[in-house]
Amino acid sequence: MTETTSQDSIRARLNGDTVRNVLLHAFLYGLAVLMAVPYLYTLSRSFQPTELLRDPRPYWIPPLAGEPITLEHYQYLLNNTLVVEWTINTFIIAAGATLLIVVIDSMVAFSLTRLDWPGQGLVMGVILASFMVPYYMNIVPLYQIVSDLGLINSYWGVILPAVASPLGVFLLYQFFKDIPVEYEEAARLDGFTTFQVYTRIILPLAKPILSALALFMFVYNWNAFLWPLLVLSNETAYTLPIGLVNLYQGNIDTPGLHMAVAILGSLPLFIIYLIFQGQIVRAVQMQGATG
Amino acid sequence: MGLRKETIEGVLWSIPYLAVFTVFLIWPALKGLYMSLHTYPNKFDLTETEWVGLQNYVELFQDPVFYNAMEGTLLFVAISVPALVILGLIMALGVNRDVAGKRTLRAIYFSPYVLTVAVVTLVWGQVYSQSYGLINYYLGFFIDNPPGWLTSPDLVMAALAFMTVWWLVGFNFVIFLAARQSIPERLYEAARLDGATGWRAFKDITLPQMRNSVVFVVMVQFILQFQVFAQPYVMTQGGPKDTSDTLVYYLYRSAFSQQQFGYGAAMGYVLVAILIIIAIVNFKVIGDSND
Repeated sequence: MTETTSQDSIRARLNGDTVRNVLLHAFLYGLAVLMAVPYLYTLSRSFQPTELLRDPRPYWIPPLAGEPITLEHYQYLLNNTLVVEWTINTFIIAAGATLLIVVIDSMVAFSLTRLDWPGQGLVMGVILASFMVPYYMNIVPLYQIVSDLGLINSYWGVILPAVASPLGVFLLYQFFKDIPVEYEEAARLDGFTTFQVYTRIILPLAKPILSALALFMFVYNWNAFLWPLLVLSNETAYTLPIGLVNLYQGNIDTPGLHMAVAILGSLPLFIIYLIFQGQIVRAVQMQGATG
Repeated sequence: MGLRKETIEGVLWSIPYLAVFTVFLIWPALKGLYMSLHTYPNKFDLTETEWVGLQNYVELFQDPVFYNAMEGTLLFVAISVPALVILGLIMALGVNRDVAGKRTLRAIYFSPYVLTVAVVTLVWGQVYSQSYGLINYYLGFFIDNPPGWLTSPDLVMAALAFMTVWWLVGFNFVIFLAARQSIPERLYEAARLDGATGWRAFKDITLPQMRNSVVFVVMVQFILQFQVFAQPYVMTQGGPKDTSDTLVYYLYRSAFSQQQFGYGAAMGYVLVAILIIIAIVNFKVIGDSND
C-alpha cells in the first residue's frame, strides 16, 4: 500500500518534472524563434522582386510557392548609393574611437591605481560623478564646442566626444586596483621603468578585460546615432546609421530596398558579433557586476 | 623643492584622458549652464549672446509642447522599462535551468542589441506597416481591419516600446544571467533541506542575491529609455498628432531645427534634474526595500 503510493508519487513527480521541462524548452525556444522572425523577414524581403511587393502575402526565403528571387535591391544600393563609403567611414570612426579609448583609458586607470600622487581621489571622484551627466543632455553645448573647434563633418568631431566617456576608465580602474602589488615591486627591483611596468605587467594581465572593452566600444560607436547625426551633415561623411535613415526617409520607398539597406547596414557588425560574441557579452556583464 | 618623480609620472599618464574628458564632457556641462541663461538672437553669429536670466526655464515650464513631450516620454518609460526588466529576468532564470543549447539561446537573445537603431526602425517599420506589414497580415486571419500600429494615437508609444524591448532586452538578460550564475548552489541545497523550493526559493534566495544587478539594470534602463529619441524621430516624427513626441526629440528640434540654443540647453539641464530625482526615488524604492 505504502509502496504503491510512494511509487505513484515518484512517477507523478517525474511526470511533473518532464512536463515542466518540456514547457520550459518550448517557452525559451519559442521566444528565440519569435525574436528571430524579424531577421528572417528582413532577409527574405530583401530578395523579393519589385513586381511582387504589392502582394500582401509575406514573402519568405526559401520561396514556398516557387516565387522568383532577385538581387536587384542589392545591386541598386551598391551602384547608386554611398553604402560602401558609409561603411568605411563607420569603420574608421568606430576603430579610431576604440583604439584611443583602450590606450588612454588604460593609461589613466594605471596612473590612478598603480602610481601614487596627490589629488588622485578627487580626480576619480570627478570621473565617477560625470556618470550622472547623461550624454544626450550635453548635446547643445557640446555641439557648440565641436563647432568652435572646427570639427563639424570630420571624423574627430565624432570620435573625441565618444572618447570622453568615463565607462572604460571605470571598468579598468576596478580591474587594475585588484592586481597584487607584489608583481610590480619585484619588477621595480629588477629596474623596470614605469612604462615597462605598464606594458609588460599590467597590460598582459588585463588583456581579457581590454579586449572585452574594445569590442564593446567598437559596437557602441559603430551604432551611435544622435551625435553623428548632428556632426555629420555631408552625405559623403555619413556613418552607416545616418546614411540608412536618410535613405529610408528620403530617396527610397520600396520595402525590398528598405530590407536590403537593413541587411547591408547590419551585416559587418553582425559578423563581428558572431565571431566575438563571448567578449561583447562579457563586457556587458562586467558593467553589471560593478554597477 | 622638486616634485616627486612619481607625482610627475602620475600626472603625465593621466593627461591624455583628462584633457579629452575636460574639453568634451566637463566643459560642455558648464557651458550648458551659461547657454541656458542666454538667448542667441543672431543665428549666423553665435558669439552674439543676450543675458536673459531664468527666462528660458520659465518659458519651458509654461510650454505645452514640453509637457506633451514629457507625457510621451513617461508613457514610453512606463511601458518599456518594466517589460525590459521583467522579461530579461524571466529569460535569464529560464536559460539558467537545465536547458539544451544555452549558447544558441544566448546568441539569439542578445543579438538584436548589436543592431543600430537605424536598422531596428527600418525592419520594424515593415513589420508594423498597416497594409503590407507582417503583424497585420497574420492578424488579418483573426480580426478585420487590423490597426495601424504607428498611425494610431493610442498604440504608437506601445508599438515603439515593444520594438525597443526586442532590441535591448538582451542587455538585461546577459547581466541577469551572470548574476544568477554567481549565486552559490549550496544556498539552494540548504533551502531544499528546509523544504523551500520554487517560489519561496526565488523570493528568499534568488531575488535578494540578485538585488544589486536588478538595481543596476533598472537604473540604466530608466536613464536610457528616458532619453528615447531615434525611434520617434525616424519612424513617426512624433506623430500621429504629437502623441509620440519625446523630450530629447523636442530638445533636438528646439536647438537644431529652430536654432534656439539657449532653450535647448535649458531643457538639457531640466532633463538632468529630472533624471537625478528619478535616480534618487529609484534608490529609495528598490535600494532600501529590504532594510
